[in-house]
Amino acid sequence: MSEPGDIALGCHGLSAGYGARTVLQRIDLAIPAGTWTAVIGPNGCGKSTLLRALAGLLPARAGEVRLLGRRLTDWPRRDRARRLSWLAQGAPATELTAGECVALGRFAHTGWLSSRAAADEAAVERAMRATGALDWANRRLSTLSGGERQRVHIARALAVEADVLLLDEPTAHLDPPHQEDVARLLRAQAREREVAVVSAIHDLSLALAADRVIVLGSEGVIGQGTVQDALAGDWLSRAFSTRVDIVSSDGVPLWRPRIG
Amino acid sequence: MKAPAQSAAARALPVAWVGGLLGLTVALALASLLVGSTDVPTSLRWLLSPDAQSDTVLWQIRLPRTLGAWCAGALLGLGGAIAQGLFRNPLAEPYLLGTASGAALGVTLCLLAADSSFMGIAFWGKLGLTSSAFVGACGAMALTLSLSRGVLQTANLLLAGVVVSFLLSAVTGLVLLSSPNAWRALQGFLLGTTGFLGWSSVLLLATALTACLIPAVLLSRGLDALTLGEDTAQSLGLSLPTLRIAMLGILSLATAAAVGQVGVVGFIGLIAPHLVRQALHVNHRRLLIAAPLVGGVLLQAADLVSRAVWRPIDLPVGSVTACLGGAYLVALLWRRARDV
Repeated sequence: MSEPGDIALGCHGLSAGYGARTVLQRIDLAIPAGTWTAVIGPNGCGKSTLLRALAGLLPARAGEVRLLGRRLTDWPRRDRARRLSWLAQGAPATELTAGECVALGRFAHTGWLSSRAAADEAAVERAMRATGALDWANRRLSTLSGGERQRVHIARALAVEADVLLLDEPTAHLDPPHQEDVARLLRAQAREREVAVVSAIHDLSLALAADRVIVLGSEGVIGQGTVQDALAGDWLSRAFSTRVDIVSSDGVPLWRPRIG
Repeated sequence: MKAPAQSAAARALPVAWVGGLLGLTVALALASLLVGSTDVPTSLRWLLSPDAQSDTVLWQIRLPRTLGAWCAGALLGLGGAIAQGLFRNPLAEPYLLGTASGAALGVTLCLLAADSSFMGIAFWGKLGLTSSAFVGACGAMALTLSLSRGVLQTANLLLAGVVVSFLLSAVTGLVLLSSPNAWRALQGFLLGTTGFLGWSSVLLLATALTACLIPAVLLSRGLDALTLGEDTAQSLGLSLPTLRIAMLGILSLATAAAVGQVGVVGFIGLIAPHLVRQALHVNHRRLLIAAPLVGGVLLQAADLVSRAVWRPIDLPVGSVTACLGGAYLVALLWRRARDV
C-alpha cells in the first residue's frame, strides 16, 4: 500500500483518441494516494477517454501512464488488475446475481477456478455492506432498479481493494441521498485506506466536495489542484465557456444555477 | 457470513433438473429402440433372447443412433451457449453464425477428395471428416467475424453469419454439382440426418463432448465477466483475446464434431440455452452444463419424431429441427416485439 502524498497514478505527455479523432493531447497529471480527485468538464470534453486511458483500456498514442511508479504497460495483467480498479459508465443489467457480480471483482485474486479464500469472501462482504447492497446478494441484476444496480457495480469495484480506484460517473442513476452516500464512501476510501480515488462527476456541488479536482475543457486540461485552487482561478467558467457561480454556504462550496 | 454462503449453494445446478433431464434421456433412448422402419417384437422374453436380425437392428443401429443424437445435440447446445455468451447476442448459434455451413463444406470436400461416401466409414475416416469439418468451421467463423468487422458490432454479426452461411452452402452446392454421385450420397447429410450414426460415431462424439465441455466450464467465469462489458472484463485482469480464441476454438470443435456425424442440424444451439434460461437463474457455469443436457434431449426427441411420423420413411432430422426451431424463433421474436 502506498503512503499518503505519493503519486499513485500519473501520466506524462499522454495523448489518446478514437479513430482519426485525438481527444486528449499531451496531458500531464499527478494523482496522489490518499486523496479523492473529481474530474470535471463539459460533455464530450474527454472525461471518459481520460479515465479509460489512465486505466489502460485505451492505448496511449503518445506519452505514458505510470501506476505506483511503474509504467502501466510493464505491469503483468493480473498484478495490475489487483492494484487498479475500474468502474464503467452505466450499470449493465445481467442475469448474474449481485453476489456473483461483486465476486467477479476478486477475479484478479482468485483466477479462473473461483476457488475463493476466506479473504476474498470477506472483501466481497465488506464491499457489499459499504454500498448497502448486501440485502440483494441473491437477487439478479436484471431485477434491480438502476440505482440499486449502480450500487452493486460500485461494490464490485470496491471488492478489488485496489490502490487506485477509477470511476466513470459513479453517482449516475442515484437519488440525492445515495449520491451523498457514494461521495462519503469515496472520501472514506481515500482517507482510511489511502486509496487514490478518481471519479468523473457531473454534479458540480458534489464534485467540489472532493479533495482535488482535474478540470477539463475542450482545449485539454484547464487545471489540476485543490478545490480552493480551482475556485481561485475560476477554472470552471473557463472549462464550460460560460459563467459558473460557486457560492459558499458555511464554507462549503456550492454551485448556484443562474436562472432568474 | 450470510449472503455469499447462500449464493454458493445456489451456484450448484439443481439436482432435480439434472436428474429429470437424464431420466428423459433414458426414456427417449428406450422409446427410440422400439420405433423405426422395421418392427421388432417388444416382449420381455424376446428382449432376453432376440433373434439375430432384431439384435442387429436394436444394438447396432438404434441404440448408437439415439446415443449419437444425444451427443450431437449436446455439442450443439454447448456451442449455442458459448456463442450467445461470447457475442452477448441471444440469437447467436453455430447454424446462424455460418459455422455449421463451413463445417459442412469441409466434410463435403473431404469426402470428394477421398472419393468415398458416408456408408461404412470406419472410426479413423470419421475422425478425418471431423478434422476437415473443424478447418471449415474455423474458416467460416473467421469469415463471419471479419465481415462483421470484429465482434464489437453484434447487430451485424448475425447478418454476416447468415451471408456466410448462404455463401458456403452455395459453394458446397457447386462443388457437388460437378459430381452427381457424391451429391446423392450427401443429400441426406446436408439436410441433417441421424441415419449414419454408428458406435464409432458415438465414441467420437462423446470424446469431442468431453474435450469441449471441460475447458468451456473452466473458462465460464470469463463469459460471466463479459456480461459486464468488455472494458470491465478487461479491467478485472482477464485477457479478452485469449478468452475469445479459446471459446471460438471450442465452438468450432463442437460444431465440427456434430456436423461431421449428423450434418447440418440447425436451431438446437439456439433453443437449448433459451429453454435453460427460461427455467433457471443461470451464471455461465450452470448454463454451459445445462444447455448440453437440454440440447441432447432435443435432438434425441427430434430423431424419434423423424422416425415416427412417416413410417417406414425416415425424415431428415435436420428438417424436423428446422420446423420446430423456425417456429420457436418466430415465437421468440414475436414475444420480444410484444414486450417492447
